[in-house]
Amino acid sequence: MANVDRREFLKLVGAGSVGVGAGYLLAESIKHPVEHLIPYSVPPEEFSPGIATWYNSVCGMCPAGCGISVRTREGRAKKIEGNPAHPVNQGRLCALGQAGLQTLYNPDRITAPMLLQGKRGNDAFVETTWKEGLANVSGRLGVPGVATVVLSQGVRGQLANLLELFTAELGSAELLHYDFAHPHTLYAANERLFGQQQLPYYDIANTRYLMSFGADFLNNWLSPVHHSLGFGHSRQGGDAQRLRFVQIEPKMSISGAAADEWVAARPGSEGVLALGIAHQILAGGRYSGSDADDWTAALADYSPELVAEQSGVAAATIVRLADEFAQAKPALAIGGGSAANNSNGTDTLVAVTALNYLVGNIGQAGGLIFNPDPVTGPSASSRRANYEVMRDLAEAAQQGVVDVLIVNNTNPLFTLPTAAGFKEALASIPLIVSLSSFMDETTAMADVILPSHTYLESWGDDVPQPGVGFSVAAVSQPVVAPLYNTRSTGDILLGLASNLGFRDAIPWTTMEECIKDGWREIHARGEPGSGDFDSFWHDVLQSGVWGEDVRQQQDATVSKEVIDNIGVAAPEFAGDVGDYPFVLHPFMSTSMYDGRGANLPWMQELPDPITSVVYGSWLEMNPATADKMGLQDGDLVQVASMQGSVEVPVVIFPAIMPDVVAMPIGQGHESLGRYARNRGANPIQILAPVTDPVSGALATGATRVSVVATGRRAPAVKTGGESRQLGRDIVRFTSTTSDATEHSAKLNSIPISVEPA
Amino acid sequence: MSFMDRFVSGWRKHRQAATDDDFDYAWTMSIDLDRCTGCGACVTACQAENNIPLVGEKELAGGREMQWIRIERYWEGEYPNAKLSFIPMMCQHCDSAPCETVCPVSATYHNQDGLNTQIYNRCIGTRSCAVYCPYEVRFFNYYDHHWPAPLDQQLNPDVTVREKGVMEKCTFCIQRIRQAKDHAKDEGRRVADGEVQPACVQTCPSEALVFGDRKDPNSNVSKSINDPRAYHVLGELNTRPSVVYLKKVDADVV
Repeated sequence: MANVDRREFLKLVGAGSVGVGAGYLLAESIKHPVEHLIPYSVPPEEFSPGIATWYNSVCGMCPAGCGISVRTREGRAKKIEGNPAHPVNQGRLCALGQAGLQTLYNPDRITAPMLLQGKRGNDAFVETTWKEGLANVSGRLGVPGVATVVLSQGVRGQLANLLELFTAELGSAELLHYDFAHPHTLYAANERLFGQQQLPYYDIANTRYLMSFGADFLNNWLSPVHHSLGFGHSRQGGDAQRLRFVQIEPKMSISGAAADEWVAARPGSEGVLALGIAHQILAGGRYSGSDADDWTAALADYSPELVAEQSGVAAATIVRLADEFAQAKPALAIGGGSAANNSNGTDTLVAVTALNYLVGNIGQAGGLIFNPDPVTGPSASSRRANYEVMRDLAEAAQQGVVDVLIVNNTNPLFTLPTAAGFKEALASIPLIVSLSSFMDETTAMADVILPSHTYLESWGDDVPQPGVGFSVAAVSQPVVAPLYNTRSTGDILLGLASNLGFRDAIPWTTMEECIKDGWREIHARGEPGSGDFDSFWHDVLQSGVWGEDVRQQQDATVSKEVIDNIGVAAPEFAGDVGDYPFVLHPFMSTSMYDGRGANLPWMQELPDPITSVVYGSWLEMNPATADKMGLQDGDLVQVASMQGSVEVPVVIFPAIMPDVVAMPIGQGHESLGRYARNRGANPIQILAPVTDPVSGALATGATRVSVVATGRRAPAVKTGGESRQLGRDIVRFTSTTSDATEHSAKLNSIPISVEPA
Repeated sequence: MSFMDRFVSGWRKHRQAATDDDFDYAWTMSIDLDRCTGCGACVTACQAENNIPLVGEKELAGGREMQWIRIERYWEGEYPNAKLSFIPMMCQHCDSAPCETVCPVSATYHNQDGLNTQIYNRCIGTRSCAVYCPYEVRFFNYYDHHWPAPLDQQLNPDVTVREKGVMEKCTFCIQRIRQAKDHAKDEGRRVADGEVQPACVQTCPSEALVFGDRKDPNSNVSKSINDPRAYHVLGELNTRPSVVYLKKVDADVV
C-alpha cells in the first residue's frame, strides 16, 4: 500500500462509521490467499495443518506502536510482518520489530514465578506457584501504610489505566513510567511553545525541505518506520519536487547518511544554530506575522556571525540554510537525538520547533500537525519519570522510605548512570518485585519474580505516540498460547488486586475483559446504530486497528512571553577540557535500541549499518584525531569520565567531529541471558549526572571523557569489506539537474561477446 | 575444426543467456538507492523467513557470515565533507550467471522463472560457485548450525534447513513465489502484480525495494527499471542481473 495519507486511510475505514469501517479493514487484511483471521478463542486443535493463520496485533519492541500481522503455523509464530491497515507503519517493519519472534522464543526467558532464597544478586531463585508468588507480594502490599513504588516501562491504553487504578487503591503508592529514550525535552518544548500535551505529527511525506537537528528519525527517533515511509515518498514517491534534506549533528547518524547535506555542529550548539537561522529568516523579511517585531527583538543577539562562532558552522552556511529553508514550501524542522540530549535540550528544541512557526507550516501538509488526545488510556505525558525523578526515587529509597518496588519490564539498573545511585537504592528496598520476561539487571536484584508474557502472548491495546494527525487505536492479542507458566502484566496486577480486595475499583478478572471495557467507550464514539459491540470488537480484532476522523485544532499562537524568553544557554559539560578532551556522544544503535535488543541473536548478528560491527561495542573516532594519538582501528582504549571508565576498541569513523567520540548504547549487559551477557560495554554507566533543568531529562551528551590507549588490540568483529568504492562504481550517483537521458542505461542490451578473437 | 574452436563454439551455446521469452515469469527486483536508508530491516526479515542460521561471533570473526542480503556501505570524501551510501546486496539472479556454468553437479541452475536456484541435496560443496560469483553473495555451511530450544520453534516450515557442506543464497523467497503461482493456477490466471513479495521487499520501511514480473509491462517493477536512473551493479561483466539498482541522487554530481 503506497503511502496512505489521512484522507486515504479514512476512505479505508469509512469516516464516522466505525462498524462498516472496520469491516472494510477486515477485507484489506485478509487479501493474502491462504490466510484465515480467526480469534484465538478457537482452540488450537482446529488449526489446519499446513495452513498459515495470521493475527493482527501491535509491536511491543519499541514505543512507536506499529501494527503487526503475525503468521502462525500449527500454533507457532513464524514471521512478523507489518499490518498494512495500520496507518503508522502501513505494512512495513524495522529490524527490531522483525526480531520480536526471538523475544517470544528466547531460550533465556523466565519460565515460572520465582522467589529469592538467600542473598540478592546471586541468582538464588527457586520456582514457586502463582498462588504463592502473588500471595507473597499481596501480603506485603496489604500492610497499612506500606510505601510502594510501581515502576513500569512506558505503557499506554488500558494497561496504563489499570496501573493508575491499582496504584490509587494501594494508597501510599506512586506510579512512574520510566523509559530511557522517552523524549522528555520534546514534550517540554511543545508544551512551552504551543501548550500541546501530545507530540505533534511531522508530515515528512509531504515536505520538500527537511532540516533535522540531530534527530535520527530514520533509525529510532519516535516512529522510525513511519518516518522512513514518509522519507521514501518525499524522495522518490511522486511527480513533486524531490525532498532536500539537511542533517545537523556532531556525528553522522543513519539519518545523516541519507541526508543531501550533512553539517557538523558542536554538541549543544544546535539550538543557537536554529536561532541563527530564525534570525536570518526575520532579517530577510520572510516572516510577516503580527508578532514579527517581538521575534526580531528576541533574536537580535543571534546574528549568523555570532552563531558561527559558537556552533563551528560557517556564517555563509547559516545564511544559505536559512534562505533555503524559508524559500522551500513546505519546509519542516525537527529536533532530537544529540540536539535534545544536552543541558539546554528543551531550549534547543523550542528554538528548532519555532522555525516551523516562522515558516508557517503549523497544521499544513508537509509541516507540523498537532495530534488529538488519545482515545483510550491516560494522557501520554502523565507520570513519566525523567532522570531527576529517578534520582529522587533512588535517594528516597536509600533513606529507607520505599518499602516495596514493583518493576514492570523496565531496566533502570542498565539505563541509568552509575551516578544515579540506583544500585545502592535497590539494596535499601526491603521488597523488590519484578514482572519481567527476562533476567535483566534489575530483575536479578528482585526478591520475587512474577514473570510476564511477551507482547505476542498478551492482550493489550495501544494508542500510537506520536500519532499520525488523527485518532488511531489498536488492539494487541495473543498470537500463540503462552509458552511458559507466565502471565500478562495486566493479569498479574488483577491477581494482586483480587488478593488485596480491590474488587470495587478493579472489577475485571482477566485483562481481556479490561481491554474490552475500554473499547466499549471507543465503540460508543461511533454513530448510533453502527452495529453492536461484539461485532465491532470482532472487526477490530481482525483488522488490528481502528481510526476516526478527529483532528486537533491547528491554530498555533506563541505567547509574547515565550517569544521574549526564547534563547539557548551555552551547554554545560561535566569534566575539564584539559583532563577530558573529548565529548562523549552515546547513541542508540539500530539493533539494540536502549539495550533491550541485546538478548536477541538476530540483533547481535545484524551488522551496524555504518561500521558493520557485530556482537560488541566500539568507540568511533575521527581519522585525524586517531592519527594524532597514534591509534589504529582495533586498538583497545580506555574511555574514562569522572564517573568511571570502559574499555572498547577504536573504530575510525570518517564523519565525526575531531573532539567528539561516539559509542553505541545497548551492549555491556551483566545479565539478560546468554546472548547479551559479558559483551561490550555500556556507555550509560559512565555518564555524568547532568540534566536539562527544564525537563529534568538526563543530558546524555554532556559528559567529557579521556581516551587512553591500553596498548592492546581487540578489533571489533566486522562483516563489511572495503568501505571505499576504489573505482568499482558499485553505488552510482546522478544529479538532479543533469539531463536524465544521459544516465539512461539500457539494461540487458549489451550483447554477449564470447567470440574468439 | 581445431579442439579450441569446437570448445569455444560448444561453450558459446551454453553461454547464450536466456531471454525473457524463455521464462514463464521474469522475477525482478529494483532497489532505489535514493530511498534506501541502510536500516537493515531487510536483513533481519530475510533471516526470519529463510531459516538462516546464527553463526556466532567466532565464525563471523573468521569471515563466515550467513546473510543472504546484506547492507554494503561506501564512504566518499573526508571529514567534514564525508558522504556515506548504502547498497543492499543479495543474489542478483543473473540470467547469464557465472555460478551456474561452473557447478560440476548442476546444483545451481536457472529455472523456468528466470531464478537462479540452488538444489541443496544435489550440492556437494565444491564452493566453486562462490568463487565465481562477482557479487560475493553465496554462503557455505561450514558447520551444522543449531537453534537453542525454543528458538527452533520459529523455523519456517516452508523452507529447508540446510546442513553442513551445502552452499546457500538468496532465492527471491521462492517458497512465496511457488505459493502465489499455485494459487493463481487454481484460479486459472497469472500471478498479479504485488501478489508475491520477498520478505525483504515486504518489510522495507522506505519502500526502496520493489519486486515483480518484468514481463508484465504494467508492473511496478517494470516501471521502476525503466527509470533513467536504472543500472546494474558490475554491469560490465555481462552477468545480466535480475536485480536493478536506481542511482542515488546527489546534487553535487556534475
